[in-house]
Amino acid sequence: MAAPHVRALGMLSGRPGVAAVPGLWALPQPERAGDRFRRATRECLLGLAAVDAMLEDGRATREAIAGDGTALLYVTAAAYGASNRQFIERRGGVMHFAYTAPAVVPAEVAIEFAVTGAYGILIGGAPSTLRAIRQAGQMLDEARCDRVLLLVVEIFEECADLYARYRRYTKWPLVETAACLWLERGEGTLHFESRRGGPASGPARADERFAAGPLADLREWRERGAVGPLELSGRWRDEHARLQWSMARSHARGSAA
Amino acid sequence: MAAPERIAIAAAGAVTPIGPDLETFWSGLVTGVSGISQIERFNVSDLKVQRGGEVKKLGRIKDWCGVPDCRATRLLVAAADDLCAQTPLRPLPLDPERVGVVVGTALGGVEEGERALAGDRPGRRFPEALYDGPGYGLARWLGARGPVITVSTACASGATALAVGADLLRRDEADLVLAGGYDALCRFVLRGFNALRSLTRDEVRPFDRRRTGLLLGEAGALALLVRERDLRGPRLGTLLGYGSASDGFHIAAPEPEGRGLERAVRAALADADVAPRDVDFVSAHGTATLLNDRIETAALKRALGARAHQVPVNSIKGGLGHTMGAAAALEAFMCLLAAQRGLIPPTLHLEEPDPECDLDYVPGRARPGRPRIMLSTSMGFGGCNGAVVLEAG
Repeated sequence: MAAPHVRALGMLSGRPGVAAVPGLWALPQPERAGDRFRRATRECLLGLAAVDAMLEDGRATREAIAGDGTALLYVTAAAYGASNRQFIERRGGVMHFAYTAPAVVPAEVAIEFAVTGAYGILIGGAPSTLRAIRQAGQMLDEARCDRVLLLVVEIFEECADLYARYRRYTKWPLVETAACLWLERGEGTLHFESRRGGPASGPARADERFAAGPLADLREWRERGAVGPLELSGRWRDEHARLQWSMARSHARGSAA
Repeated sequence: MAAPERIAIAAAGAVTPIGPDLETFWSGLVTGVSGISQIERFNVSDLKVQRGGEVKKLGRIKDWCGVPDCRATRLLVAAADDLCAQTPLRPLPLDPERVGVVVGTALGGVEEGERALAGDRPGRRFPEALYDGPGYGLARWLGARGPVITVSTACASGATALAVGADLLRRDEADLVLAGGYDALCRFVLRGFNALRSLTRDEVRPFDRRRTGLLLGEAGALALLVRERDLRGPRLGTLLGYGSASDGFHIAAPEPEGRGLERAVRAALADADVAPRDVDFVSAHGTATLLNDRIETAALKRALGARAHQVPVNSIKGGLGHTMGAAAALEAFMCLLAAQRGLIPPTLHLEEPDPECDLDYVPGRARPGRPRIMLSTSMGFGGCNGAVVLEAG
């Protein structure tokens, strides 16, 4: 299987001081005009903002990703927690229930950007993101689509008290992240491996971004000039996964296919 | 391009509102048993619709192995226990690192979240409230050390899980995969669907002109997937293909023409290398909402052409309710059992056909028939459309 080519990456990362909780780097709620968004949750709006950032990074218009040639993969470990909690605590009105489904975040992207191709939604942390990159490579290799958008959203602020109670199981700071990676057919090689239990198979991040960790590493690699081999890794629960990604073309920011 | 590796469904297990195992599920389908009843497990007194497909007896599982004891995990483990009764899997017959688990769910362990926020052991409940908790619980009970994957494509989740499980085998990440879906009835989802006014106070009547909505159900459904070349023994059938497509239309309502479902069906048929004329039977999503059944009928007619009028199409949600993450897997098992037993279960409570739903929906009673190629369709929140193509064992 050929490795996919990185066409663009949009990423929004939380900053210290936005949330009142020490060690939680939150993302502010993006503004978005339009009646359709009056009920949209923060995770939905962040998903849309990540796609906007991706289009800007790729110097592309929204028409470039519209249609059934674009597949959409979404990965999150916990972004739905915010809307689930809101509904459980009877906030948000009766129509809020529809927004509790994880599927609604990519749905808002599909609606807004007219993306109507194949889709997939994985619930899990960094290993799920690495798996999704590999799945994207396979879909492109088999010509099931022309491009894949990999959307990852992780937010924590609404459940900060619960994460704090479970602090010993997560690294802090918790960094909220919304990212969208645009992949196209490429020519390099991709090697994925995962293992449950045992020691970590790659360097651990200093912060906690759940599913978004590998895309933060990818962004840093591109900002360093996208030179040399790329190895992404991450863990979730007892799974450690690693993706070795070599490519034939530049993946640096703004490099068009 | 080389033909994709064929994936066999060696066996299946289930726990449903009409029976605690696959055999009782099947006999209930063909005899028209309804599993719809007053919900008893939690308080519904403040809700307008208080009925659903509740599994009344879901006992504690033997050899619990320290798995967190939540209802969602119990449903999964009960389905796996039924599977083990047909194909011994405990202890695992091969290297545990080569056994994977792929489950689909619309709700995960959200009931644990409700309990945590209500102050019931919040520290213990919270991790299980994450949607991937029950999948790991199943892997632990089984002793599986291979990949554990949770997908959540709303009510198409069971179909997606079967496809992802097949991919794990094709990519040689595992030699055996338990794949399927689950969801538990809880206040969270009952309150939500009540708020959306999608639930009926009548019977669930798919494709009937009097249909007024759906009822929810709970279930666990798991298939044992194995590469065909590795299969040593009987099989239930073969998973030939899968397709998906986004509506890109609305977060809760289906696209009015059913174009997304049509694309998913076409993609599944292409993946299976099957022509519409080869399809012998369709298991419809058939929720009995006004929109769904009409839209689904139109999509099937476009995707299958004239063949849509020549094959039986059923919905099993009349007796089960909509079992959400488990629904597509249960419907796939129904297709394979129909082929194996030579009998197509009826669409329960379909008595007065809707003129806009003009396919052969198998009203009344089970019908003799032995389909070879079967199509099962799913639609979910967020415009998730999925379709699987199956071949008889």
